[in-house]
Amino acid sequence: MRFILVDKIYELEPGKRIKASKALPADEELFRDHFPGFPVVPGVLLTEMMAQAAGRCLDAEGTHPGRAMLGKINSASFREWVRPEEEVIIHAQIAQNRPTYATADCFAEVGGKKVCSAELFFVFAPHELFER
Amino acid sequence: MVHMTQREALEWIANLFEVSPQELTPDTLRGDISAWDSLGVLTLLAGLDSDFGIVLSDDDVASIKGVDDVLGIMRRNGKLS
Repeated sequence: MRFILVDKIYELEPGKRIKASKALPADEELFRDHFPGFPVVPGVLLTEMMAQAAGRCLDAEGTHPGRAMLGKINSASFREWVRPEEEVIIHAQIAQNRPTYATADCFAEVGGKKVCSAELFFVFAPHELFER
Repeated sequence: MVHMTQREALEWIANLFEVSPQELTPDTLRGDISAWDSLGVLTLLAGLDSDFGIVLSDDDVASIKGVDDVLGIMRRNGKLS
């Protein structure tokens, strides 16, 4: 699978907040193992969805010395199963936004029901690292 | 406004670096704590910012060699008795 875990951006205030979404198709290979007969989206992928959405929000501001990278998961909790094909709506609110680090309060919902939340810590990787 | 005793401040620092408060004294140096790496430095900056409203300059950051320096910063900013 590609590791792009944001499909759509519905709302974006650069450096402040973002509302985005992702749905994983039922034929993704990972669902054969997670779990056999009961496919659910892994918590690590839900966390990555929130991280990628928050990272997009930070990068859209264009004021940091590099690209936002997840540095630390300060906290995370998972409340509900997320099944294949379900659209996960991701919300990220940037709580701290400094030149060298940022934090984001994030949660995701499916059908209006909160499925997970996380407080994420970002650092900024120099842009030169991504030059080809 | 948060105002701490030294003991509470040591507990706060210990929690930040995920070590036991018993492992920390004012003499503990950065190199003594494995989690006080480059990410740990940023975690410390974020914690001082969010919990105490202390925003450090680059010079402040460069001057931090250990726990006593952090306590000094908290004291200078009126957060430590």
